[in-house]
Amino acid sequence: MADRKAKLSTSKVNVKLTSDLGRISFVVGACMLGFVFLVFLISVFYTPYNPNMTDASNILKAPSFEHLFGTDHLGRDVLSRIMSASKYTIFVSFAGIAIALVLGMLMGLTAGYWGGIYDKAIMLLSNSIMCFPGILLALVAVAVFGSSMLNVVFALGIVFSPSFARVLRTGTIAISNREYILHAKILKVNPFRIMVVHILPNLLTALIPAVVIGLANMTLFESAMSFLGLGVQPPAASYGKMLSDAQSYVTTSPWLIVFPAFMLILYILGLYFISEGVRICTSRGGTIE
Amino acid sequence: MNKSSSKSVNIIEIKDFSLCFPSKTEGMKPVLNKLNLSIKRGSIFGVIGNSGCGKTMTAMSIASLLPKEASIQGGDILFNGQSLLSMDPHSRRLLLGDKIGVIFQEPMSALDPLMRIEAALGEVLISHGVKDKNEIRSKIMEMLKVVGFKNPDAILNRYPHQLSGGQRQRILIAGAALLKPSLLICDEPTSALDTVTTISILELLRSMSISMGITMLFISHDLNVVGCFCDYVAVMKDGAIIEKGITSRVLRSPQTPYTLSLLRKSRLDNVLSNDFFLKPNYSETPLLEVSNMSSGYDGRLFSRQKHANVIHDISFKMYPKEVLGVIGGSGCGKTTLAKTICGLLTPTAGTMLLNDVIIGVVFQDPASCLNPSHNILWHLLEPLKAKKIKLSKLETRELLIATMKEVNLKPSYLLRYPHQLSGGQRQRVAIAMCLILKPKLIIADEPFSSLDASSAANVLSLLSSINHKYNTAILLISHNLHIVSKVASRVMVMDSGTIVESGQLSEVFASPSSQAAKDLLEAERKLNSNPNALS
Repeated sequence: MADRKAKLSTSKVNVKLTSDLGRISFVVGACMLGFVFLVFLISVFYTPYNPNMTDASNILKAPSFEHLFGTDHLGRDVLSRIMSASKYTIFVSFAGIAIALVLGMLMGLTAGYWGGIYDKAIMLLSNSIMCFPGILLALVAVAVFGSSMLNVVFALGIVFSPSFARVLRTGTIAISNREYILHAKILKVNPFRIMVVHILPNLLTALIPAVVIGLANMTLFESAMSFLGLGVQPPAASYGKMLSDAQSYVTTSPWLIVFPAFMLILYILGLYFISEGVRICTSRGGTIE
Repeated sequence: MNKSSSKSVNIIEIKDFSLCFPSKTEGMKPVLNKLNLSIKRGSIFGVIGNSGCGKTMTAMSIASLLPKEASIQGGDILFNGQSLLSMDPHSRRLLLGDKIGVIFQEPMSALDPLMRIEAALGEVLISHGVKDKNEIRSKIMEMLKVVGFKNPDAILNRYPHQLSGGQRQRILIAGAALLKPSLLICDEPTSALDTVTTISILELLRSMSISMGITMLFISHDLNVVGCFCDYVAVMKDGAIIEKGITSRVLRSPQTPYTLSLLRKSRLDNVLSNDFFLKPNYSETPLLEVSNMSSGYDGRLFSRQKHANVIHDISFKMYPKEVLGVIGGSGCGKTTLAKTICGLLTPTAGTMLLNDVIIGVVFQDPASCLNPSHNILWHLLEPLKAKKIKLSKLETRELLIATMKEVNLKPSYLLRYPHQLSGGQRQRVAIAMCLILKPKLIIADEPFSSLDASSAANVLSLLSSINHKYNTAILLISHNLHIVSKVASRVMVMDSGTIVESGQLSEVFASPSSQAAKDLLEAERKLNSNPNALS
């Protein structure tokens, strides 16, 4: 009897633990992300120095009270550059995801809803985008159309769209034979309204984690492209650009690597924690009738 | 009946068993409340009650298949005199796998779609230590013959999707019986099957119970099935047993008012009368004229056959106010017919004349008839938006409240979401969605088959009041002959995609001319004429 109670209480703890884990993960992620956003907001109104101002007398200075995060090889204040870089990183990831979502929805919802040869064609297209390494495609696009920030955003948006298209297509196929969708078809509701108002809200639990992970991956891609010199153009700062500039000074001036990398990690880890939290909290099984 | 008098007479004894689930609103919600139950060895024991009364949880407690959140509050379950709850989990699992078999309601999802039948059944034997391949095969063949397959060789290599619902249920029974369990728990094994198949499954279970000495715990909300099949029956309400005894006694002279009301509802006595639905006038212009219509699903992209017709050469007329019943076994094309009439499928041949009629549709499954992401208010506004009916705010408000009252739901339910409603309430919201457009024709595709008796009775009386008030014609598709026989004025019998017989209800039911109709009526007669059943 006592044994049984003990067993039951551990199972209860397990259930509680998973839901708590989700919540904790979400809160931790939100705090990390919140910090990055706070830095971004402050940077809009105030940076300690002009982030692009060079100062020949202050080259590669270690962190001090004057320059909290030190200075780089051109004498620019690293703290100010980190603050202004957050702007580009956040803009590129969010704008890129927005483009990817719109394209993905357009492809995924329609392909899943209409099916047949149209579905096959769309999936062929999205699979052919997916079978190239994403960074390569984005690099080619930027190399062809020129390396402005908007081009980077569009290129990343196109590269990321198939992953959303797949999530949405699968969900749409699963739902479009449900009776409430048949009912809408009988009422002759406009197909696009069925897709967006009737089907899409039911796919959000699958879509939200995909979007958050997409944001994190998008940031990494943007950093990688800037690192390779095809992203944000100098003198503007982004985390990837700062890391690439710092690589010659890793041993002598480690603060040039540590601080931008720390912010990048904070942003991406925050996004992953949030997506994990959302996934755990939304995917706990059905309720008992 | 008592094969082993040395052991205890009862195979299962449940003593003061209580079970709770954590709930968001009330802390711990009791599901079973001081349940006492004993099942005699070799008997067939039925449990009846409305949905949510704890029938399935009782079965799951015996089989130790309770969900993780369940918390046992007290009492004990004895199997062959041994306490199941004080046993350690490992030895309990060993005991249960061998001695207790379970058959579930949904034969579609209980078989692995990627496993051939031989592999699926072999798995059961392998996991219980049978190693010799030939022995496994011969055992499976033998069992397939027992459950009524005439050509077990052919069945062995099939995949589940190549079998019908009834065949799959037979496979599941074979799987459960392979280990020769002493107790077989059947949780609504027939509620997804049509009458003809139900009878054949029940006959199979009974013969197995006798020949192999298997005790059965049979859970159902269908009183007819329990009445013709079980030796003993227990009535459950709110997690406790309120009446039990020999089936014929309980169902013939119930001692509690609750059992009586269950019986009344299952016979639909209180809602059915002669003028329950309006009598049509056959001289009026028909609402719907279908002539030589064929329909089906689109063929594959490169296949030669452009359309795979499911229904062929259908002709019939429907008149205003008429209730037309469509009956037939599963897979005969009833649902395809409904889908074609309401415009989801286009006819491939023949014509369908709908004289400018608004059609409403009520589907079978209350679980998926409403969109889980939106509240009831949205569901009722959507038809108005789709038909571009513009109303002022006040008019809309009045219309919504009137419609909700019409279907016996409180207006406050407008802000609820589908998961906050019961099956019967959802079905009524689905009817309200039709009703808000004032349709002249409602197509009801098996609206009762997944509801318990009292919800079905409520939905039926609701349809009747709509029929009276708005002169709405109803095309009632059902395999429940009992309901069709009480409400329809004309009936059509379908078999393998065509209408094999149609006419006035009394004529068809009194002297069926087609084999399909004869089979259906014979099954219905067996379900009702058993001495155990209520006369």
